[in-house]
Amino acid sequence: MKMKKLVSTLLAGVMTLSLAACGSSSAPAATADTGSATTETTTETAAETTETTTEAASTEASVESTSDEEPITLNMWCIATESDSNRHSYEAAIADMQEKYPNITFNWEAFENQSYKTKIKAAVSANEMPDIFFTWSCAFLGDFVEAGKVYCLDDAYQNYKSELPESMLGNSTYDGKHYGVPLTMNIVGLFANMDLLKEAGYTEIPGTYEDFIACCDALKAKGIIPFGCAGKETWCVTEYLESVIEKSVGADALNDIFLGRATWNNQDVADAVDTFQALVNNGYFDPSGIGLTNDEVKNNFMAGKYAFYMNGTWNCADFAANEEFLSKVQVGEFPVINADKASLGQVIGGPSDTLAVSASSPNAERAADYAFELGKLICHYGYLDGCGLPAWTPYGDTSSINPLTQTVADIVSKADKFVLFGDTAMNADSANTYLSYVDQVYGCLLDGKQFIEGLAKDIQ
Amino acid sequence: MKNKKSFDIKTAVTIFLFLLPSLLLFVSILIAPIAVSIYRSMFDWNGFSEGTFIGLANYKELFTNGSIKFMTSLKNSMLLAFFSVFVQLPFSLLLALLLGRKPKKDRAFLAIFFMPVLISTVVIGQLWLKIYNPDYGLLNRFLDAVGLGSWKHVWVGDVKTALGSIIVPTVWQYIGYHMLLMYAGVKGVSVDLREAAMLDGATKWQVDRYIVIPIIKPILRVSVIFAVTGSLKTYDLVRILTEGGPFQSTEVPSTLLENMLFLRNRYGMGSTISVMLIALCFAFALLITAAFKDKDE
Amino acid sequence: MGKNDIVNKVDENKTNPVMKVLMYAFLIFWAIVNIFPIYFMFTFSLKSNEEIFGKNIIGLPENWLWSNYTTALNTGSMGLYFVNSLIVTISAIAISLFAAMMATYAITRIRWKYSKLTNAFFMLGLTIPLQASIVPVYVVLSKLHWLNKYSTLIVPYSAFALSMSILICTGFMVEIPYALDEAARIDGCSLSKTFFVIILPLMKPAVSTVGVYSYLQCWNEFMFANVFISDSAHRTLPVGIKALSGQHTTDWGPIGAALVIATFPTLIFYIFLSGKIQESFIAGAVKG
Repeated sequence: MKMKKLVSTLLAGVMTLSLAACGSSSAPAATADTGSATTETTTETAAETTETTTEAASTEASVESTSDEEPITLNMWCIATESDSNRHSYEAAIADMQEKYPNITFNWEAFENQSYKTKIKAAVSANEMPDIFFTWSCAFLGDFVEAGKVYCLDDAYQNYKSELPESMLGNSTYDGKHYGVPLTMNIVGLFANMDLLKEAGYTEIPGTYEDFIACCDALKAKGIIPFGCAGKETWCVTEYLESVIEKSVGADALNDIFLGRATWNNQDVADAVDTFQALVNNGYFDPSGIGLTNDEVKNNFMAGKYAFYMNGTWNCADFAANEEFLSKVQVGEFPVINADKASLGQVIGGPSDTLAVSASSPNAERAADYAFELGKLICHYGYLDGCGLPAWTPYGDTSSINPLTQTVADIVSKADKFVLFGDTAMNADSANTYLSYVDQVYGCLLDGKQFIEGLAKDIQ
Repeated sequence: MKNKKSFDIKTAVTIFLFLLPSLLLFVSILIAPIAVSIYRSMFDWNGFSEGTFIGLANYKELFTNGSIKFMTSLKNSMLLAFFSVFVQLPFSLLLALLLGRKPKKDRAFLAIFFMPVLISTVVIGQLWLKIYNPDYGLLNRFLDAVGLGSWKHVWVGDVKTALGSIIVPTVWQYIGYHMLLMYAGVKGVSVDLREAAMLDGATKWQVDRYIVIPIIKPILRVSVIFAVTGSLKTYDLVRILTEGGPFQSTEVPSTLLENMLFLRNRYGMGSTISVMLIALCFAFALLITAAFKDKDE
Repeated sequence: MGKNDIVNKVDENKTNPVMKVLMYAFLIFWAIVNIFPIYFMFTFSLKSNEEIFGKNIIGLPENWLWSNYTTALNTGSMGLYFVNSLIVTISAIAISLFAAMMATYAITRIRWKYSKLTNAFFMLGLTIPLQASIVPVYVVLSKLHWLNKYSTLIVPYSAFALSMSILICTGFMVEIPYALDEAARIDGCSLSKTFFVIILPLMKPAVSTVGVYSYLQCWNEFMFANVFISDSAHRTLPVGIKALSGQHTTDWGPIGAALVIATFPTLIFYIFLSGKIQESFIAGAVKG
């Protein structure tokens, strides 16, 4: 399972006022959101900060004179391995930082995603964490915070308030204190192979659910499989299921359930699950999908086997890198199923990739500052590379960003409500229980009613 | 050696000194963690915060809470052990016996048969994923080609076939492992003994059956122990081929253990599973040893 | 050699030619089944994701992407990891082998009350799942400031290889005639001198067998290596290969290349050595 992003709120530039603190110990704050609040446009923000990175770096360097500080060493662990799409943004950001802070010897190590989870948990148990470490926000980081292993970033944050909207910190805020530096954020996107859609007589992604279903039927009639979904990795199923539930019951209701403020025992959710299952039973999903990994499904999608692929927007960079495929693919938002409760602009996703500072670090204070600046640069370069959307206010020239990521940025700027990914929002034990129920829904072993009743019983 | 007391003390010291390096390694790296696991298994603990002592509640939950799937995992590894002992080992023995007859190129055959053991499980896993792939997999393509299209399956994604899909490669990969162990024994049967039997008119199969197999019995016992404890500890191929799915039907104790320790942050329950696993493996090892003794008498 | 000839001759007289053909057919068939993964791994390492996932799963690569090897060697630093793995594995084998020989001697060749029990105690090691000991061992190692060194892995690996080594050594050591010890003792050798002078040289055949099985345990070990080693200077191959996959995107070609780099030297070494290993088996057998 890949840990996914979650959210509380908005993308830089457009401001929403939601602050969904999540966490194991603290009761999450109310999600007060509305799109009508202060709305700065992205262009304005960009215009204010048109300096290039290097300029920004050099000006700041002169402000905080680093030369008289004694030399220290900082260590960081992350998951930006050689073949990870984020690798380049880490390398570029770290190169900038090393130039700016010659007194800080910065060592970093990258580990593979899955095994990193084992590693970081063991390191927290043994108090062997590096000064700065990569983590996923919400429950994953929350367990460490609760155990008192993470350094509070409230003081350091004061210097970066203007560049990092407080609303982006919701997922790493526990009991009102900030513990994480967000990097990029991602949402679930509905990717479509337009060549296949054309064969079925559609020139754009259908905007209403009725059209969407009609489109799926048309595709099926042409012998094209509408959806590809990796059943071997349950998080891929949640990308579909959570979108269907959200567009049926509304973002607020789903958020409340994920954050434990409302019970799973909700008839609307059961109906939404049945809706999802109807998609499965109608044969819209590739029947082979249940035995495939996401790597296999993604390659099938790129090879033109499926018309749609619902997955995280981190795929944009990959799809854009393949020129031939880029000309065929488009990304959109899942249509609304129940207009009484949900609306467009309610999406699944948010900032999850986070840097945190270990409480046991001998130089925690300086590590905190370093983490903020590094996070800002990683976010900047990551956005330019199309790896995700920025949690920090973007600066510099963003016109070179691939069209897919730009479309997603557009969707996000119009979005007013974000719902955390279920398995990131819930604590580890509940999340895995939830995933095993999702798995059974996809395999049609459970219907909607059994799903809600089972979860209401097994997750407190 | 038992005449004088001073002698005994000297012997005891020698024994102790000879055991010391092994004991040091063994106790510090293997035994102490078991003790820690037993202790931790009585806690509700996530691995980093304060734990709560809950006595034997974890053990109780392990057997009563169906959603943990412990019984499923046990059943799966028992099935795997069954196939190991009754399919894999006889096959290994057959190969060892055939090679023991010194056919031409026996060395080359021996080396080749052992190769799958040396290859990383990642490669074996990827290979079998290509065999099982529902769309372009070799198995489904083969079934199509011979007109058995109706037998096609989503092999690793179907509850009916998923466990079998794990058992086949696991059994296959370690045939060479046991073959090499047994071959050592078969080679140990003295040439004179074989020769004498042959001159008495015994066929090759009779020689194998009545002379070779009884002699290599201790090695067979070791192989059976390895096959059973190895099955209880299976991990790699399950992770690669099915991830314990579909619907957790192919979980084995090791995957559950890892899920509890590092995914679900239930360190106490994870420790409980490992204690159970160790106890089971040890019980089986004793049982098998006892079973072989009975036959000897 | 002479005896073998006679046996072969006897064999040939008795063997039904049909059976013989069948036997060879079977052996050759099985050899192909077992060589196939190596062919698969090699071609896998030269393909792109597109070919690996569906387009061309078992054929020869359409474009021979040798660049996968450059990627694995340069960006993936497989060369360094290979050396690290080699150091760790060889040291672990050496330590466990020596410790096991000594322990086996004390268990099998000195008569004392609890020798059987001690043996059973060591056999407990065969049953312990690695995952269970990660955190306890890690906590201890961290308290001793004993992380990120070669020895961080060597010591646990030797411990985990120990039970198996003792088991195999026992098999070999009981084959050595007890008369040898007794003769040495009568000549006035102490117990330890008997071990070093008489027994140890006769245990040479055990070395390769123990070596192969301990190697299997250490070379591909991932869990300990992942958790205990945090600097890439001491990283071993399995962790290095795993680090070639990304969070959301994985290029499988270089992983295949890295696997070839990790496996082929072993295979070549094994083929080269397999004659030697067999000789050692035979040598061990002749003793009995």
